[in-house]
Amino acid sequence: MSSSRNALRRADRIGWLFALPHLVLFAVFLLAPVGYGFYLSLHRWHVLAQDHPFVGFANYRAALADDIFWLALRNTLLFVVIAVPFGNAVSLLLALGLNGLRKASTPYKVAVYLPVVVSISVVAVLWRWLYNREVGLLNLTAKGFVDALRSLGLPLAPFDPIPWLADPSLVMLSIALMTIWWTAGGNMILYLAGLGNIPEDYYEAARIDGATNAQRFWHVTWPLLRPTTLFCLVISVLGSFQIFGQSYVLFAPGSGPARSGLTLALYMYQQGFSQYEIGYGAAIAYLLFALVLGLTVVQFRLFNAERRAREGRAI
Amino acid sequence: MSTTRYRPQARRRRFDPGQAFLHGVMALAALLFLAPLGWMLSTSLKSPEDVIAGLGAMRWLPNPLTTENYRYILSKVEEFPVWRWTANSVLVALSVTALVLVVDTLAAFAYARLRWRGRDALFGLLVATMLVPGQALLIPSYLIVRALGWFDTYLALIVPAGASAFGVFLLRQFFSNIPAELEEAAVLDGCGPLQVLRHVILPLAKPALAALGIFTFMATWNAFEGPLLYTDSLAMRTLPIGIAVFQGRYNTEYGPMMAAATLAAVPVVIAFLLFQRHIIKGIALTGLAGR
Repeated sequence: MSSSRNALRRADRIGWLFALPHLVLFAVFLLAPVGYGFYLSLHRWHVLAQDHPFVGFANYRAALADDIFWLALRNTLLFVVIAVPFGNAVSLLLALGLNGLRKASTPYKVAVYLPVVVSISVVAVLWRWLYNREVGLLNLTAKGFVDALRSLGLPLAPFDPIPWLADPSLVMLSIALMTIWWTAGGNMILYLAGLGNIPEDYYEAARIDGATNAQRFWHVTWPLLRPTTLFCLVISVLGSFQIFGQSYVLFAPGSGPARSGLTLALYMYQQGFSQYEIGYGAAIAYLLFALVLGLTVVQFRLFNAERRAREGRAI
Repeated sequence: MSTTRYRPQARRRRFDPGQAFLHGVMALAALLFLAPLGWMLSTSLKSPEDVIAGLGAMRWLPNPLTTENYRYILSKVEEFPVWRWTANSVLVALSVTALVLVVDTLAAFAYARLRWRGRDALFGLLVATMLVPGQALLIPSYLIVRALGWFDTYLALIVPAGASAFGVFLLRQFFSNIPAELEEAAVLDGCGPLQVLRHVILPLAKPALAALGIFTFMATWNAFEGPLLYTDSLAMRTLPIGIAVFQGRYNTEYGPMMAAATLAAVPVVIAFLLFQRHIIKGIALTGLAGR
């Protein structure tokens, strides 16, 4: 009896010993920040102040009454609403194209994935140049295109250079376009793997039933790809809400014309590290945290409801 | 029988308009994705006048071709210590990869193959934290790094990166799928846990370890927020942060900026082209998209 208890204790000790190195790092740099961040958000914590009084939820109330917080939230939501659906659509279309090729798909895959490996600094520096109003590649190409059509006699107005990063109403669209270029390759590979997991038999059956390409997509590919789609959407939403580097490199510190590039993560950074309002920054961080968590739960619910509806119909 | 089965395929191989069309569409898409990087390289090799004016600005092939922009930025050793930043990035990325592989392997083994009190509760906690957005932890992590006295040191760039639960989660899935019989045989032969891990588990989990290693390296190489906050001096910056800081001052000199961006992009692009097969397989294997 006592020997078996000793054996159990020994097993416990060995288990903990193996897990310990990671647990220490996890406790200090993940668990502690989660708790400490909440603690900070409940205090008025200016870096230069002597003491940091407890203020309850005053920082949260201040954020909800702060016009710039709402602007940053609006900008972030705008980015998510553009970048997530269009980015996933681009990735899925590319994956469908690759999946349809019988051979030699690797060069295309490599080309589309290439931007993913480049850091955000390089991406943003490069795209600020591409977006240059007078001599950026995008406006040069568009101008060349419009001029060519005009010379063919089409009644078009002369090309008016697009103020990609100067017009507040275009800024988030421009950032989303740049981000889609940067990240589409990653999700493309995930969708491609998902497509590869769909058994060939289903397509064979659909073909025998005389299904068109569109019918095969909506009745075979789309439903069977759902786990992949859900995964990609959740990951994209999670990542997009945290958008930081794009605006930081393109615009910081003011974050663009009329603050149109200011995002939640960047506002948190500005409050914490430029204004030294650590407590207020931490409260913004927790609001971001709550928002992301809530949205992830909602996405899982929506997908489950959709699946149940679909299965109900099938029966 | 066999002839009727093979004939349609033989015909298909000759020319298939559908496939040719699809190849055309995909080639166009590939070109669109490559164009920005091509333009970056092209601009970096143009003379200053050609970058911003007239016909020169519209050329894809610079004429005259010049390395002037590269010589210009590389001469600014004080403000643009690009080799130091590259060395920092290499050192930090290699160290983080080694750290993550070691601690995550040990932990994943404990969660997958050992029985101990508290195991399942702890693993539940690890999984729960995987949904915590990293940005939400920046401020408290920064204060912790400062309190430890690690600010502006390599320790700050390396150690906190080992906290993520993702690698543990990923490796645990792989370790759990290895048949118990193999482990039992090793135990009967007198192997302790460490030997089981080394001789039974690790050889079978190589693809997962390789994938985790590659992605940890790439993620660390491109890490932005952490290194931005944890370092201060020009000598401690990593490549992405160095480029971001440098461009703040030279943001209208596009020729030199494109040269700097090209220098920062080249090592990782070459590494990707060399390992692309493993990387793409790793994404499919792990569900990690590399970002």
